[in-house]
Amino acid sequence: MVEYALRRVLSFVPTIIITLTSIFFITRMIPGSPIAALIGHQAVGAEQMEAITSDLGLDKSLIEQYLEWFPSVLTGDFGTSLFYEDSVVQVVMERFPVTLYLTTFSMILTILIGIPLGIWASIRRGRAPDYASNVFSSLGMAMPSFWLGFLLIILFAVTLDWLPASGYRSPDFGIWEWLKRLILPVMAQSLAQIGLVVRMTRASMIDVLDQEYITMARAKGLPESRVVLKHALKNAMTQISTVVGLTFALGLGGSVIIENVFALPGLGQLITIAAVRRDYAMLEGGIFYLTLVALIVNLAVDLAYAYFNPRIRHAT
Amino acid sequence: MSNQIIHTDMKGSGKILAWNRRWRMNRMLIIGLIMLFPLALMAIFASAMTFLDPLSIDASSQLLPPSLDHPFGTDNFGRDVLARTIYGAQVSLRVGLGSMLLTAFFGIFFGVISGWYKWADAIIGRFTDSLMIFPGFVLAIMIMAAIGPSELNVVISVTVLYVPQVIRTVRASIVEFRTAEFVDAARTVGVGDFRLLSVHMFPKAAGPVMVQLSFGFAWAVLVEAGLSFLGLGTPPPAPSWGNMIAEARDFIRTAWWMITIPGGMITLAVLGLNLIGDGLRDMLDPRLKNRGVL
Repeated sequence: MVEYALRRVLSFVPTIIITLTSIFFITRMIPGSPIAALIGHQAVGAEQMEAITSDLGLDKSLIEQYLEWFPSVLTGDFGTSLFYEDSVVQVVMERFPVTLYLTTFSMILTILIGIPLGIWASIRRGRAPDYASNVFSSLGMAMPSFWLGFLLIILFAVTLDWLPASGYRSPDFGIWEWLKRLILPVMAQSLAQIGLVVRMTRASMIDVLDQEYITMARAKGLPESRVVLKHALKNAMTQISTVVGLTFALGLGGSVIIENVFALPGLGQLITIAAVRRDYAMLEGGIFYLTLVALIVNLAVDLAYAYFNPRIRHAT
Repeated sequence: MSNQIIHTDMKGSGKILAWNRRWRMNRMLIIGLIMLFPLALMAIFASAMTFLDPLSIDASSQLLPPSLDHPFGTDNFGRDVLARTIYGAQVSLRVGLGSMLLTAFFGIFFGVISGWYKWADAIIGRFTDSLMIFPGFVLAIMIMAAIGPSELNVVISVTVLYVPQVIRTVRASIVEFRTAEFVDAARTVGVGDFRLLSVHMFPKAAGPVMVQLSFGFAWAVLVEAGLSFLGLGTPPPAPSWGNMIAEARDFIRTAWWMITIPGGMITLAVLGLNLIGDGLRDMLDPRLKNRGVL
């Protein structure tokens, strides 16, 4: 297990290099100029224009820019944001906790609801609970999360007036002040994830429950709860844990939209604004840290997978 | 498996059972097609279904609630929401269809090459891996930021996001049959690489690709809506469903019709396309049957 873990962690190094390189070349692939966005409608002379261009290093070739950029980002320096006039990493780190709260809470809610509902559907296959959970999960996956967010705002903030419609307070203002502004975003973000996890849990539980050793366990006279929760679930967990990891990556992507709906000052909102303004440094830094979280979670899932599935652990 | 068959056999009998079984086989496909049919009609016959212009601004009829003149009400510029919804179906289906056609072309081409030629596999493999590192929607945002918002660019970015998955599927099917006897047989009678790959190998991958493309279509509709909502997709004033939701956000307290209708349409389209995908998968790959929705 230790050896497997080490190998898996080491494979992280090339992944990071590939990630950074892809980010650089995709964001600068088309020479759409950030200068236009920077100066806006001001009248700027050709000389001044040139000065800004060379200031930003945009007069050099892409390869030269890359060779300068790469060593500096490895030391965690993504440069200075054109608009925030602050170091990118500084701004990213300020926004980071909001995104982390949103995605972590959504993930917890997804696991708490999705896995039990999937198990329930699998043991009541073809009956009412199965149909109900299927309709729920299909609808959840089909609804755009941002639209669901607005529906939740209309219901809980506008009509019932129970929760604030948008905005964010840090936990320093008190736990409830902080939490109540996260409830609706977490609900909006989770529904599609829950749908996915329910379906995959159901499918992998059904695969396992059809196997002979389950019939054997039942024949031995084990109580059904023990057969389902211990014998079947432990084996189904290998597949379920992979899906949970995938869902987390999906959720990070989805958080970008949800943060925009609920005006949460997180990484996603930062990335969208940077994308619209073509603030390269901000965009690259923001996307790198968001992707890094996805990669770390993926790594954790792989390790959990190996733990549940000895065949992976012992394979070369 | 065996006790399951006995179980179903005991439930019904004769004709009813046979009908029931056939209906169950295809019911997701049928329900999906029924859901998608009106949307496809709307998109194809948009100009015949409404005489109102989705873009014409009328200051005297702003934010009118649903009525006989405007069944879905009007928006903040006095534009007819029904007309915009109908033309919005065109945008969504155009993006979905366009991106999936491109995805099919590049996915099959590179997938077949990658599964057949080992030297190409190394290069294409690195390429797909590096694209698949990113959380999907983030990659879409990054591409749109680079190439700028437009409907065509949405098609390009959805294609870039989805092609790696199709490449992998096609590659896996080709690799599976690379050492099959029919390949040796074809070789022996002098069949060349091109004919072997296109006539004998590709059909083996066609089923899984079809399934994947129908899910991809649904996903493209969602991505288009999401990008347009953020202002990175189809630029306004074009009536994309995502745009309509973005414009409606300031009026959720006063004009519920502006936001509920385009969102409901997206849900309907995605649900229908996902059901078609499920139905196709059950038909083409019975091994995965349990994974279905209904």
